[in-house]
Amino acid sequence: MAVDYSVKPLLAVDGLKQYFKVSKSFTVHAVENVSFQIYPGETYGLVGESGSGKSTIGRSIIRLYDPTAGNIQFNGTEIGGRLSTHDNHMLRTQMQMIFQDPMASLNPRKKIGDIIGEGLDIHHMYMNRAERMEKIQDILAKVGLAPEHASRYPHQFSGGQRQRVGIARALIMNPKLIIADECISALDVSIQAQVVNLMKDIQQETGTAYLFIAHDLSMVKYISDRIGVLHLGHLLETGTTEEIFSNPVHPYTRSLLSAIPAPNPIMEKQRVAESYDYKTSGIDYNKGTDHLVCGSHYVKCTDEEFRRWTQGV
Amino acid sequence: MSDEREKILKIKDLDISFKTTAGVVHAIRGVNIDLYKGETVAIVGESGSGKSVTMKAVMGILASNATVTNGTVEFSYHHADGSPETVNILEKNKKWIRKHINGKRIAMVFQDPMTSLDPTMTIGKQIMEGMIWHFKTPKKEAWAKSVQLLKEVGIEDAEKRMKNYPHQLSGGMRQRVVIAIALACNPDLLICDEPTTALDVTIQAKIIELIKRVQKERGISVIYITHDLGVVAKVADYVNVMYAGKIVEKGTINEIFYEPKHPYTWGLLSAMPDLDTDDERLYTIPGSPPNLLNEKPGDAFAPRNKYALEIDEKVDPPMFQVSDTHYAATWLLDPRAPKAEMPQELKNRIEKMKKEANGHGSGL
Repeated sequence: MAVDYSVKPLLAVDGLKQYFKVSKSFTVHAVENVSFQIYPGETYGLVGESGSGKSTIGRSIIRLYDPTAGNIQFNGTEIGGRLSTHDNHMLRTQMQMIFQDPMASLNPRKKIGDIIGEGLDIHHMYMNRAERMEKIQDILAKVGLAPEHASRYPHQFSGGQRQRVGIARALIMNPKLIIADECISALDVSIQAQVVNLMKDIQQETGTAYLFIAHDLSMVKYISDRIGVLHLGHLLETGTTEEIFSNPVHPYTRSLLSAIPAPNPIMEKQRVAESYDYKTSGIDYNKGTDHLVCGSHYVKCTDEEFRRWTQGV
Repeated sequence: MSDEREKILKIKDLDISFKTTAGVVHAIRGVNIDLYKGETVAIVGESGSGKSVTMKAVMGILASNATVTNGTVEFSYHHADGSPETVNILEKNKKWIRKHINGKRIAMVFQDPMTSLDPTMTIGKQIMEGMIWHFKTPKKEAWAKSVQLLKEVGIEDAEKRMKNYPHQLSGGMRQRVVIAIALACNPDLLICDEPTTALDVTIQAKIIELIKRVQKERGISVIYITHDLGVVAKVADYVNVMYAGKIVEKGTINEIFYEPKHPYTWGLLSAMPDLDTDDERLYTIPGSPPNLLNEKPGDAFAPRNKYALEIDEKVDPPMFQVSDTHYAATWLLDPRAPKAEMPQELKNRIEKMKKEANGHGSGL
């Protein structure tokens, strides 16, 4: 997929901080100073273990949370602070989200057609019922479901089909950016492949950009143009998929890559995954600054760490 | 592994149906699995293929609407005095199974560590529970043993953690606790039902290494249920591939990964994302798993199989023998069938894997 990097980024996140105040004396620093850009038609993969803040970033961007600090530029508009009615309307149509658990995110009492059409209803995006029906049928066909599925309920679908409904619901608004929050983690391996292929096809057809949030690096590799590695709220390493996979610099990225089991039993039985423990590693994320490795490949670390990691190989 | 293989579990011709409001679902259709002491058998398949149901039958914890229509589950164990005994678990009543099998000789690790722990009990109490119930271990001794177990599964500050409640632990820690509970009574057989599906890759790697280490140290047998072939490659000695309640291919780990014969296994292997290739598209198995409510004659996989023959729609294929340990249920192995080869991409990938393995000094 050719992405034009010379144009203005579709989404530019700059110094995003998201804190949650738990009590008077305790605040969770979920996201700490994260900056990245997404270009039109691009897929940006955000990886990290649970609790690293990747979902929080997604939710802050779509403004399910109010960011503590930082700027978010989307489509030329600042959306990090208070939103005007007009900006809010733009955000709610141009940015959509696909959630992790397709069972929990679909209303069990609504028919598929109404779930998909809800966005149209809210934003009055049709002239009459026939047009609404037509739009829904188009989207259903696009995600590989049959027209008669519109009159069924979520429980009548399998997991993979439900996730297709989730995608259809996001797509019907014709968004510029879709945030896919662990949208394939709950599915079987063979179904995951179907959904990932579908998402790729749709991107080629409509040119939407994805923010693909996942903990499974092997799938992220297939879909992403660029990747950001997140740990404990810090964006540790970012670069193109190629750069990250061929030359991981940060020890955490390396441990993530080595944790993926390969379907090769003889190799796999001998191999022990590299382990990484923040507490014993002696790395302080707060001290790190961005260092350029090459091209668009950045690592967050101190000067001394950077020397050690890049020359030690 | 010793030369003398001691069989500890033998599932023969198992057949299970569920009565539902929509009709009878024939979920398990003639499953055969053998397990020997100290070995690991993996059961692979998509959700709904019957992997978990088979193992629930072994534990005697099937849902109340399930009926076993055929088959035996023979479990061999030693009494405390060392005399061997073999029982058919399916013939025993719930009370007997509770007393002699569950937790004591066969222990199970479930998928979701949040729902399988009791939120109202400290984890220490939950680990001690089994020992006290089964062996009447004095409380002090049970406490000491539990601390030991927690250390064994890699939890720091074990004494302090004993007083913690499940919600105070992270997902990976909780799964470690579940494994500690499973090991509390020194079982002969550990059944792991998708133990890492709900966890991250980094934690998954640690948990798998933990299970492998524990197995080696204690010499127990493990049945590993999963849909992730990467995990299987790491842990298993033998693999059973399940589809729609039937085992469609079984063999040693190397046979399944390097010489798969069944089109479904081909599909599963091809669908694994490979870190080394740059394909634009992932391979997928077309369609979705069948609904077992309306049973059709012939091979259940036929509608999704591009290698399906005419006979596949009429008669279910029997198990064809490929080697002493390798069997596959597909008509493609019949001498009268036209020659069908696995897809070229998969062939290339296997060739590459073999080369890598050879490079590491293991002849194939």
